[in-house]
Amino acid sequence: MKTTLLAVAVALSATAALAQSMPAEVTEPVTITFYNYNLASAGNGADATRKMIAEFEAAHPNIHVEGVPVQPQDIATRLQADIVAGQSVDLVQMPFAALGFAAENLGAVALEDIVPAEELAGHFEGMVPNGLELGRLNGKTYGLAYTFSTPVLFYNADLFRKAGLDPDQPPATWAELKEAALKIKASTDALPLATGIYGPTALDWLMQGVINSNGGAVINADRTEMTFASPEAIEAIAMLRDLAQEGITENLSITAQMEGMAAGNTAMYLQTSAIQGYLVKGATGNFELRAAAMPAFGDKPVKPSNSGSALSLHSTDPVKQRAAWELMKYLTSERGYTIITSEIGYLPLRPSIVNDPEYLGEWVKAHPLVQPNLAQLEKLAPYVPLPGPNYLQIGISMMDAMEMATFGNDDNVAGILTEAQERTQRLMP
Amino acid sequence: MRLGHLHLDPTMTDFAAEPHPPRMLRRMTRARRFRRQLVPYLYLLPAVACFVIWIYEPLAQAFVLSFQQWNLLPTAPKTWVGLDNYRNIFDLPKFWQALGNTWYYLVGLLPLAVLLPLVIALFTQDLPPRSRNLYRALIFVPMIVPPVVAAAVWRWLLDPSHGILNLGLQGLGTKPIGFLSDPDLALWTITFITGWKLIGFATLILSAANAAIDESLVEAARLDGASKWEIIRDIRLPLLSPTLMLLILMVVLLGAQWSFSYIHVLTEGGPLGSTTNIYYLLWQFGFGSLSVGWSSASAVILFVGFGLLAAALFALKAKVTFHDD
Repeated sequence: MKTTLLAVAVALSATAALAQSMPAEVTEPVTITFYNYNLASAGNGADATRKMIAEFEAAHPNIHVEGVPVQPQDIATRLQADIVAGQSVDLVQMPFAALGFAAENLGAVALEDIVPAEELAGHFEGMVPNGLELGRLNGKTYGLAYTFSTPVLFYNADLFRKAGLDPDQPPATWAELKEAALKIKASTDALPLATGIYGPTALDWLMQGVINSNGGAVINADRTEMTFASPEAIEAIAMLRDLAQEGITENLSITAQMEGMAAGNTAMYLQTSAIQGYLVKGATGNFELRAAAMPAFGDKPVKPSNSGSALSLHSTDPVKQRAAWELMKYLTSERGYTIITSEIGYLPLRPSIVNDPEYLGEWVKAHPLVQPNLAQLEKLAPYVPLPGPNYLQIGISMMDAMEMATFGNDDNVAGILTEAQERTQRLMP
Repeated sequence: MRLGHLHLDPTMTDFAAEPHPPRMLRRMTRARRFRRQLVPYLYLLPAVACFVIWIYEPLAQAFVLSFQQWNLLPTAPKTWVGLDNYRNIFDLPKFWQALGNTWYYLVGLLPLAVLLPLVIALFTQDLPPRSRNLYRALIFVPMIVPPVVAAAVWRWLLDPSHGILNLGLQGLGTKPIGFLSDPDLALWTITFITGWKLIGFATLILSAANAAIDESLVEAARLDGASKWEIIRDIRLPLLSPTLMLLILMVVLLGAQWSFSYIHVLTEGGPLGSTTNIYYLLWQFGFGSLSVGWSSASAVILFVGFGLLAAALFALKAKVTFHDD
């Protein structure tokens, strides 16, 4: 009797010890899940992600990766539902806006707590420091920076020529953009400009870049006050309203925007560089697709916001933790970023591979399209997540008001924004 | 308590007939009487339990949750926030917009889901049976198309640049119409699609009610020289009034809910919130942004509002309907 009890106790303590440290390698077959939003998209990224998973599995025969496609705006909800249902959630492509929530409520594991310090430091070597910083909360890495994109002004060089514009001189400011757009409107049937600023999937990430570029911000630095009715923000929205009133841009769904640009019916498209792969496919053999940096307000510096995701690890089983960490290492390796940048359009967070002929060197030369995106990597202003339990309501209310001020019938931009700012301020924690 | 008087046990009278029942026997009688009184409640239990578990308990929970802040996560705490959720919702212009839109949906659905089916039912009545059945079957088909499939098909048909409807309009020389992207049109487009799905169902119900009308009444009126219109006005319509009121009741109380899938697939409440209605907003609060408090508070508002409306409609129904007894 005593011996049995002892045996049980030993067995229990052994499991307890195992639960604390991750094995150095995976020796038995294991299946991990990878919740991924690129897999959920139509053209942009699904194929490349599948390719990376296949390459990884070939190199790690013991690890089987089950990709779970989820729309980015549904990730937090879906994880919550799956965790409650007892599904195994191992690795997640987590949008930065949801990372805090994931760490506090969805059991994201800090890498410092499970990965040996040396191994972690070795992997971080060569990655963009600002990028890594975005995944840290209270000094610990809950998300490993994964896919980053910046807003890029894609344009159709053929339509530019048709309108008598020089495709080598794309508009650098909003004023130049309006001028070019009016010419395009006068001489072609195309929609001069589409933007991804509004829409359920965008929330405020692109808007933050627009307002930051005019010297404003949607929220103050210590995230206690909403500031999107400041004069700079009002000026930025009034500029967008002017474009809408001139018939230069329309309030289109993201599908309509993407299809219009890819079909050659739209001249300019301000949108995340992550759709580059999709647009290149549409443009091939159809028209010449080019890209420029996000437009500036006069001579103020452009501050493109980054949209993006980190990889967060949610396994509690040490073997699965190791398997998921191996996948994280592969996805953020030189090889991983070569696929991510060349086939999807996200930024390479290991900048050294850009000029390395073994990785992106040749591809970048052949595809100058990616240059504005790469150039913007230095100017990135990190996306500021909205605070508190009502963060989504705040974001949605703010974007609703801005959309109304841009496309609605009421000319009183300042009034709409001021009213919404007061209202959302009351929802702040 | 009427149920207690149900005489389910035939032996009961035997005991009552005994002049001085012994003590033991009297106690037994009491136990048996109790059992007898219990039985009918036991029969009711399954039905009552279903109501309590699936309707009243969640309803009570929604009331409680509407005063709390919670994000649906079992591990997250539920914080008591008093009337904050209600205040925040009433503060939100989108809520009032959604409420107004809900009204437009109802107003728009009534002609499509009641008036048009009534006309179709009345005028197909006189067709030869074969063509009548074919005609009604054709009208019924939209009803059995799954809503999401119907929505996807309509999106293709209505697409501004390559939808067949807009290609036709362009052929006639007009500019393409943004049926789903123009804030002034989108609500009516969705109302139309919802109504189009309902026509078949309403026609079926009204045709059945119309066929059930005693033909001898119509014959008698005809012999008295009543015209076709007079027969409809003075015989068919009054006798159809209970069915018509039922349909109106259903459309008013459930119509905005029926549009949910079309809103979700086609516009997600946009453009500029023009197609959102109170049901969609409630769903967005709850499952779009995981704010159970907001969602429950709007559900409570909805419950009270539609409760009052339903009461008013039932009162009206009792007043205006005519029964052929």
